[in-house]
Amino acid sequence: MKEYDVVIIGGGPAGMAAAISAYDNEGKVLLIEREEKIGGILKQCIHDGFGLVKFNEQLTGPEYANRYIDEIKKRKIEILTETFVLKIDEKESFIMEFMNREGVQKITTKTIIFATGCRERTSKQIFIHGDRPAGIYTAGTAQYFTNILGFLPGKNCVILGSGDIGLIMARRLTLEGAKVQGVYEIKSEPSGLTRNIRQCLDDFDIPLYLSHKITRVFGKDRITGVEICQIDENFQPIPSTLKKIECDCLILSVGLIPENELIQELGIKINKFTNGPEVDNNFMSTEISGIFICGNAVHVNDLVDYVSESGEIAGKKAVEFIKNGEKTFEKTSVVFDEQFLYVVPQYYNKNTKEDLLFYFRSKNNFNDQKINIIINDYIISKKYKKLKSAEMERLTLKNDFESNLKKINLQME
Amino acid sequence: MKIENIKKQIEKKFGNKISVSEKNGAVLLEGKLNKWEEVIFCGKIAAKSEMHRGVINKISVEGIEIPKPIMPRIEDSIFAKDNYDVVIIGGGIIGCSIARELSRWDIKILLLDKENDFAMHTSSRNDGMIHPGIASKPGTKKAYYNVLGNKMYSEASKELGFDFKRIGSLIMYDGWYMRFLKPLIGQRAKKNGIEMEYINKNRIKEFEPNVNSECVGAIFLPSTGVISPYKATFAYAENAVQNGVKIGLETFVKGMRVENNVISSIQTNRGEIFTKLVINAAGVYSDEIADMAGDQFFTIHPRKGEIIILDKNTHGLVNSVVSKADFLSKKNTKGGGIVKTIEGNLLLGPSAYEQPFKEDYSTTESSINSVFEKERKILNISKNDIITYFSGTRASTYKEDFIIEKSQKIKNLVHAAGIQSPGIASAPAIAVEIEKICVNILKSMMDLKRNNKFNPKRNEQNISAFIDEKERNRLIHENPDFGKIICRCETISAAEVKNAIHSVIPALTIDAVKRRTRVGMGRCQGGFCTPLITKLIHEETGISYTEITKKGLGSNLLVAETKVSEVDKHERV
Amino acid sequence: MNLTCIVCPNSCELFIEKNGDKLKVSGHMCKRGIEFAENEIKAPKRVVCTTVKTNLQNTPRLPVKTDKEIPKEKIFDVMKEVNKLEVINKTKVGDILIKNVCGTEANIVATDNFLF
Repeated sequence: MKEYDVVIIGGGPAGMAAAISAYDNEGKVLLIEREEKIGGILKQCIHDGFGLVKFNEQLTGPEYANRYIDEIKKRKIEILTETFVLKIDEKESFIMEFMNREGVQKITTKTIIFATGCRERTSKQIFIHGDRPAGIYTAGTAQYFTNILGFLPGKNCVILGSGDIGLIMARRLTLEGAKVQGVYEIKSEPSGLTRNIRQCLDDFDIPLYLSHKITRVFGKDRITGVEICQIDENFQPIPSTLKKIECDCLILSVGLIPENELIQELGIKINKFTNGPEVDNNFMSTEISGIFICGNAVHVNDLVDYVSESGEIAGKKAVEFIKNGEKTFEKTSVVFDEQFLYVVPQYYNKNTKEDLLFYFRSKNNFNDQKINIIINDYIISKKYKKLKSAEMERLTLKNDFESNLKKINLQME
Repeated sequence: MKIENIKKQIEKKFGNKISVSEKNGAVLLEGKLNKWEEVIFCGKIAAKSEMHRGVINKISVEGIEIPKPIMPRIEDSIFAKDNYDVVIIGGGIIGCSIARELSRWDIKILLLDKENDFAMHTSSRNDGMIHPGIASKPGTKKAYYNVLGNKMYSEASKELGFDFKRIGSLIMYDGWYMRFLKPLIGQRAKKNGIEMEYINKNRIKEFEPNVNSECVGAIFLPSTGVISPYKATFAYAENAVQNGVKIGLETFVKGMRVENNVISSIQTNRGEIFTKLVINAAGVYSDEIADMAGDQFFTIHPRKGEIIILDKNTHGLVNSVVSKADFLSKKNTKGGGIVKTIEGNLLLGPSAYEQPFKEDYSTTESSINSVFEKERKILNISKNDIITYFSGTRASTYKEDFIIEKSQKIKNLVHAAGIQSPGIASAPAIAVEIEKICVNILKSMMDLKRNNKFNPKRNEQNISAFIDEKERNRLIHENPDFGKIICRCETISAAEVKNAIHSVIPALTIDAVKRRTRVGMGRCQGGFCTPLITKLIHEETGISYTEITKKGLGSNLLVAETKVSEVDKHERV
Repeated sequence: MNLTCIVCPNSCELFIEKNGDKLKVSGHMCKRGIEFAENEIKAPKRVVCTTVKTNLQNTPRLPVKTDKEIPKEKIFDVMKEVNKLEVINKTKVGDILIKNVCGTEANIVATDNFLF
């Protein structure tokens, strides 16, 4: 059986960054990807807005992916595409079984980095009822049809959910000649980035209806329309607002769910706020050492730049973990108050010497909000002009703390 | 009960609105009422008559128009003037299993369905449970065929290559009255010939450690099994075709030419078909087929049910089929339970309620909620575990029993009609019985010989849900396409998809591929694989992307290719 | 009037006052916000990202974009021009497929590699 130091599952922005960083730190790396080409979901994200933080440029998804692919090509990183991981067994090392056109193979590895991304929430998960007509797609599926295969899923579309992918598709479909009737969002706030509301909806006069939901879907063979209505503060439909809208396509952008099937099979628990496994500041699982998880598999990010960042950290730290004799250290739990939806990572190694990095989401929208970060006996304050629940924040702190990190507490004032 | 008594009981409630008469040995009800429940009520009264063999309930409801069957959109004459020995109307598990048994004989068989694929109705809309037989009253056809069919699945699944497992069922019961009913259940099990074990309330945790065992006691029936009902239907159909059966999809029977109580031909949208014998396996429309032949003695009232499927990560919660029974319930089914499906999902339901629409498969929030809330009482599940839900209708007659017999009136018509639950469990036994009946009739019409080329083993490759890595490796070395995964939720390979597309009953729509391989049935519900399946269908058959449908004509996936409408010729760079 | 700056993820809410011909911009965290506000009011510009047809059955579309922002009102004209093309030659990221599209001074460039 072939032996590796680091096997990375998933060749998207997280996995590619992890592969490069693990390789540069002299690990023996294998990158496994189930599609024909690496690049992950970026291949179909032909719009720009990627890389503003990392490269200080506005890149399209494929351009961002190619930056990493070019770096990978400069190195001798072993990559297996069209390869699917079947099983992982935890022994002294990890034994991984995967399959591709060559057959079923087993390898051993000292560490595994999961960069498995996420999947889209389906119509059944939001309990859309009625018949089962064709023409109902999640935004990512519609995006694949439009951008990769070159086919329009509909000519007269309604979009449910103001998540980023839905907003992006509103623009994309309009550019390719379809009509988008409107975007309907159940919350009283949009879920996607503000700049996407501007560039994708406002630019094209596509209306955004907040506090609206779809109550019925019409059509037996193909969708012919939807019934929408406004909802009150208790999310109950207001009957007088029921309205039928004709359409031939319903696009759903109702959330992403981190993809963690293999992780769960290993017995690792999923955090109910992030929908992903819990990790420490090295992106290592707090339940099974040697298992690392990065990118959208940990929590759904808004910016791919941060996805790559977590992958880079995981790759480096996986190799470091091996070099340290696979030792684990005491961890401090990251505590936060109820104004935060979640904070990642959930744990910090007490002996961390690097600068501190947190990603978090606020439960509500705040203006001029002060956040106090308590590290041991120190309080560091950061002020945010705007905090939105739809926008993930990244916070860094210089690590000037002489002693170990005994207490980490995030509070909103 | 005499007709006069039925009349009296109905009059008591509805006055003179309903006319009660006799026709073809059955009770005929006509008139108009205000609610569907009232129609059912009258039908049930009439069914009590032991002197009559069925109920033809033609009572209509004010304000409800029952739609005609959804017809295929093709009109052609591919079957025009063709001559067959047997035409089977209906391609669900009943029709397909009958076709397979009849293919043991050297006869020309045509299996018809009005849809573009088999198993599109009840056969793909049920819980896949091979019932033990305890639910059916001893002496009924349901009890007889269920118990026999259940036994036959061990052999049938091996021959035809589909997964089958006996996982047993645990029925917990509530209620002080159970002390009195207990011996009666035991008696029924004995009469029906079913193995049964009484389980003390304290032992329930041995069988089902995660189930809420607040109850008086339970019974365990080890013979209960699970299959994938649509995959099993195709296993039968493919073996039938392999053994010479011809198929006619999108073929709708419009009428029959009957002369001297003999069907001489069948009129369809694809031509007039001549045949020696007709088998009525038309599910919810088996009453209309009987009527067309001039032999109506029953009507179908389509009892609807909803089913919920839970994520595979709940599969460890239950070991068998678990339900809590209310034996005093007046409903016709136990009301469903929790099934550990053959693929490892948990299935909740089905529910059961009366409604008039035979092909209405819509789901509603309230009906799905009630299925969920019922099972949530016995298992700690959350709504977040739900990955999909769907509905189906049962072909129930008012006598609430199968009709497995040659027509008493029409000399060359055989009924396999009114097959409701436990239809799936009974299918292998029903098929063998229908084969016997047909053979008897055919022997009088022709020189009947066996089909010496009959092969009970299905040719088509069955990829079990349980293959291990050795088997997978072997398959990949035979065909590398087995190594390319298309549906990553269910681990289905490109080879399986291509095999489905090229099978003897080609899968040319997304749902057809789904029924044969399970692609799209996982937690992402086709989000990732639908474009890949569409691409494969296009590449393997040449059907243009905009013509590929989800489930047949009208359900196109895509409306237009981008960038082609504006320009005749593209500028090449 | 209010405007959300779309230059970077900060999405600053800009407050713009018109003083005759001059614009007073506040709420920005960097200079790019002022530039954005000025352009947005006078002559809004956008980058157009789309795909172009290719002759390969396995990769029938190639993603492209305008290498600079173009006047907002010319978006659909640019789409029309891009939709006339079919890529048949080896193309790499950054290769120009249309120069000065619709007279905007922006070029249509490939954002992924084709046959490369």
